[in-house]
Amino acid sequence: MEKIGITTTIPVEVIYAAGCIPVDLNNIFITAENPAALVEEAELAGYPRNICAWIKGIYTTVLANREIRRVIAVTQGDCSNTHALMETLHIQGIEIIPFAFPYDRDYDMLKLQIEKLMQVFGVDWEQVAEQKKRLDKVREKVWLLDEKTWRENSVSGFNNHLYQVMCSDFNGNPELFAQEVKAVLEKSTPLPAGDEIRLGYIGVPPIMTDLYEYLEKKGARVVFNEVQRQFTMPFATSDLVEQYRLYTYPYNIFWRLQDIAAEIEKRNLHGIIHYAQSFCYRHIQDLIIRKELKVPVLTLEGDRPVRLDARTKMRIDAFLDILR
Amino acid sequence: MIFGFDLGSRYVKLATLAEDSFNFYRYETIEFYKEFGRKEQDSLVIDFARLGFGETGKIISTGYGRNTVQIQGGQDIPEIKAHVYGARWQTGLEDFTLLDLGGQDSKVVLVRKGRLLDFQTNDKCAASSGRYLENMAAVLGITLEELSKYHEDPIDLSSTCAIFGESEIIGKIIEGHSIASLAAGVNYTIFKRIKPMLSQLLCDKIIFTGGVAHNGALKNIVEKEMQVEVIVPQYPQYNGAIGCCVYGGSLLE
Repeated sequence: MEKIGITTTIPVEVIYAAGCIPVDLNNIFITAENPAALVEEAELAGYPRNICAWIKGIYTTVLANREIRRVIAVTQGDCSNTHALMETLHIQGIEIIPFAFPYDRDYDMLKLQIEKLMQVFGVDWEQVAEQKKRLDKVREKVWLLDEKTWRENSVSGFNNHLYQVMCSDFNGNPELFAQEVKAVLEKSTPLPAGDEIRLGYIGVPPIMTDLYEYLEKKGARVVFNEVQRQFTMPFATSDLVEQYRLYTYPYNIFWRLQDIAAEIEKRNLHGIIHYAQSFCYRHIQDLIIRKELKVPVLTLEGDRPVRLDARTKMRIDAFLDILR
Repeated sequence: MIFGFDLGSRYVKLATLAEDSFNFYRYETIEFYKEFGRKEQDSLVIDFARLGFGETGKIISTGYGRNTVQIQGGQDIPEIKAHVYGARWQTGLEDFTLLDLGGQDSKVVLVRKGRLLDFQTNDKCAASSGRYLENMAAVLGITLEELSKYHEDPIDLSSTCAIFGESEIIGKIIEGHSIASLAAGVNYTIFKRIKPMLSQLLCDKIIFTGGVAHNGALKNIVEKEMQVEVIVPQYPQYNGAIGCCVYGGSLLE
C-alpha cells in the first residue's frame, strides 16, 4: 500500500478510500530519534535559520523516507512556507498534490477541493462516505478520551495531546490505533478534583517535548488542547464537506476563538497557554487572542525541538503564580 | 539571618537581613560559582564561611539560574515574584508597573493591589538588556556611567540584532556624530525595544529596577516618552535579592 505524506490534517478519508496510507509528516519528524538533527540538515541544504523548524524538519523527513513519493501539501489554511517547501521537494523528485482550505469557509469551494483530491486518487463519494463511517468510529473513542480528560481528570494532558494529534492520520492503521486508545481508556481511573490549575493549550502542537510534564510537576493540568482536538473532528455531521467546514484550524482566527471561548467555559479553565512557533504568521494573532479571551493568557514561543529552556520555565512559573 | 540570592546571568546578588537591617553583596557570576560554590548531586552548596559569614540561616533564592541550580538547604521562588516583593518593599507601593532590566532579561510586570496581574518578558533576544549597554559602551570607548548621561539628540539605530548594532554604530562614528548623540541613540534603542511591553502593561507609576536602572538617561527617556512617573528605588540591582528576604521573612503579608 502506497504511503502518502501530508503536511497537516486534510480529508484523510479520501486517502483511505484509495487504499493508501496517510503519513502525517509532522508526527514522523517530531518522533524521530533526533529531530533537531533533521532541522540542521535542512539548514545545511540551504534553508534559512529564521524559518519555522517544522518546515525544515518535514523537508528532511520526506527525503529520508524514500517510500514516500507523493505529498499532499496544504497550500492555503496552514502555512505559506509550505509553498517553498513543496518546490524544494519537487526538485528532489517528489510529486506534489496541492490542497487549499478556502479562507471564507465556502462550501462549494471546499467541496471542489475535496473532489479534485478524489480525482487524483480515483475514488467516488460512496467510497469516501464509507471511510468517514469507519474513521468516525475511531474518532468517537478519542472524543471519549478527551471527555475523560476534562470531566474526570483521568487522562493526562500529554496523552490527551498525543492521541488527539494522531487523528490527523490515525497512525496509518485506524483499527490498531483504536485498540491503543481503548487500552488507555481502560487504564484510566477518575481522580478526585484537586486544587490543580486547569489550563487550555491553544495554537499548533508544541515543538518542545516536555511542556506537559513540566506543567504537571508544577501543579497545573492541561484539560483542553485546541488544535489537537480539532484534528479529531468533534462535530456531529454526516456530511464530509460540512465536517471540514466546521474544522476551525485552517480558517480565520475569529472562527477558532468561538470554539476556544466555548471550551474555556465548558471546561472551567483558569488560564490559556498560547503556543506560537518562532517565525510563524500565527504569532501575530496573539494580539487578537489576548484581546478577545476572558482568562489570562501566557504566550510561549518555541523554535527548535529541544526541552524547555530556563527562561520559558521562569515564565511558566510566574504565570501559574498569577493563576494561583 | 535571612539570605536572599538573586542568581543573575551577569552578577550574583546577595541581600542579607538581620534584625531589620539589610546588607548587600555582589559577585561576578562565573567567579561566584568557581570560588564559592560546588555542586553536590543536583544542588549547589555555597561556602558561607568563605563568603565571610560565620553563621548561616534561612536561604531563599531566585534568578535566571534557579532552574539549573538549586541552592542546598534553600527554597527557590519564581523570579518575577521575587522582584514584585522587592519593589513593594522598597517603595511601599501596591499599584505599579515594574520594569526590570537585567544582564540578559527584560521584564515588565503589572501589579495591582500588591498582586501580580500580568507580565511580559523578552524571549529569544537579549538586545534590550544590560549586556547590550556594556557592549555598546565598549564600542564607543566610554564607561557605562558616561553612557548613562545622554538622552538628547539621539542618532537613529535600526538593527534588530545587538551584534549588528555594533557595526551600525561604527558606521555612525565614521559619519562624525558626537559621543553624546551616539550614546543617546544607544539608550533610545533600549527604550524602543521595551516600549511595546510597557505600553501593554502601563499604569501611572513605573518602578524601574535591575542593573540598567542605574542608567539615568533611560529613566528620563521612559518618563518623557510614556508620560508617567518613573521611580528608581534605592537598591535597584538588589531588588530581586531583597524580594527573597522579604518573602523569607514574611515581611509583606
